[in-house]
Amino acid sequence: MVGFLRAFTAASAVPAAAVAAVALSSSSSSPSRPPSSRLRFPPPPSLSAFAASSSSSSAVRAPTAAPPMAAAAASTADLSAPDKGTALPELTTEFMVDMKCEGCVTAVKNRLQTLEGIQNIEVDLNNQVVRVRGSLPVKIMLDALHQTGRDARLIGQGNPDDFLVSAAVAEFKGPVIFGVVRLAQVNMELARVEATFSGLSPGKHGWSINEFGDLTKGAESTGKVYNPPDYLSEKPLGDLGILEAGENGEAQFSGSKEKLKVVDLIGRSIALYATEDKSDSGIAAAVVARSAGVGENYKKLCTCDGVTIWESS
Amino acid sequence: MAAQSLLFAAAAPLFQAPASACPFHSLRIVSAPAGAAAAVRALVVADATKKAVAVLKGTSQVEGVVTLTQDDDGPTTVNVRITGLTPGLHGFHLHEFGDTTNGCISTGPHFNPNGLTHGAPEDEVRHAGDLGNIVANAEGVAETTIVDSQIPLTGPNAVVGRAFVVHELEDDLGKGGHELSLSTGNAGGRLACGVVGLTPL
Repeated sequence: MVGFLRAFTAASAVPAAAVAAVALSSSSSSPSRPPSSRLRFPPPPSLSAFAASSSSSSAVRAPTAAPPMAAAAASTADLSAPDKGTALPELTTEFMVDMKCEGCVTAVKNRLQTLEGIQNIEVDLNNQVVRVRGSLPVKIMLDALHQTGRDARLIGQGNPDDFLVSAAVAEFKGPVIFGVVRLAQVNMELARVEATFSGLSPGKHGWSINEFGDLTKGAESTGKVYNPPDYLSEKPLGDLGILEAGENGEAQFSGSKEKLKVVDLIGRSIALYATEDKSDSGIAAAVVARSAGVGENYKKLCTCDGVTIWESS
Repeated sequence: MAAQSLLFAAAAPLFQAPASACPFHSLRIVSAPAGAAAAVRALVVADATKKAVAVLKGTSQVEGVVTLTQDDDGPTTVNVRITGLTPGLHGFHLHEFGDTTNGCISTGPHFNPNGLTHGAPEDEVRHAGDLGNIVANAEGVAETTIVDSQIPLTGPNAVVGRAFVVHELEDDLGKGGHELSLSTGNAGGRLACGVVGLTPL
């Protein structure tokens, strides 16, 4: 079954890429969609073809559209992510955005449409959800949403209906090093990895997925770099390479990694190291947690009493 | 016929459960009298002890460690030690997601794979994540052991990667008559949370 899917994806990728890219850009970015399609999110067509086609269909992203990406790419030049320098694989990301009227919907759509690398935008005003399909890093989309003067939070990521577990997040909670790493399954052979860190010492830091998510002794109790027994390569699968923090102690990464399966990483950890050397235990670690996939997290935010809470179901 | 063999299969591990609680797994294997088949089964049981741990942190000084152990498909034993609480009862739940990027709020609702209403741990109708209350002593320390069969460490409803949350108030176990009783137990804000991670055996 897996073999069949893989063969199908590979065989259909190139022709499907062109067709899909054309079909999407002509039909999807219109700001005035019929109301019925706002209220429901129809599953995007032919997900496997999209995943395989990402690098070809979105390679035209203008560099000016994404200054933060350029910085990130420079700081991660020797990362092990296979497609550094190219666009990220396509994925659907859901944001909860503070919108009160149709005018807000238009403003949000117009702002997002100025970004290159976005294939489709859908807005559900009732649920205050904006759903974006494209190849842009989360940070660029969030920055754009914040620039419209609205509160926005990522609430889900992934390929709808495709995977039991499609998205995971690991949060570094300080007291010195803070950061968020998001992992999202793109297809059976590829996962997207995005990270932002602050509080690092300037310079190079190794980072890896480690086998345990035990933080009772911090990074020390997270075990070795994760490597599944069927992964035959010089470097362990969990080796994420090197991050380079700038003078301000910040580091960012956007990329993807082959063979990484998000479901197998749940409950493990991501560790950061003092230097490039990963043989000593790390200086900080965070557990890889389940996060919401697309459409799984429509609990409304309530800001009525000044505190944002999730309505429990 | 199928039902019969299913019943039989389910009965076998039940009879073994007391034995697997015995710490001398290896001794038992060596002295297994019934030959190779029994030895293999004993090995499987010994092998299937699963462990996980969550380190809880929050915005206040509340923090703690929760360790989980499960033998085979038996109930999960949850050891809780949380400090910095106000003395008294505090709702203690497993929430659906382990996402803490917006504080403990983004861990979502109580873990509820069967779509039921909120209840007490001993109720039939409850969220899988409903673990009731923990009690903090005069020093603000809550130490307890919970044994529960709805929070396995493996399988489709595995708790690994989800989050434990300790709440500000007492969980009314769905019986308080408040509009939130049947969803959250009206247990108030979230003081601290921690993601369940895998740990070496």
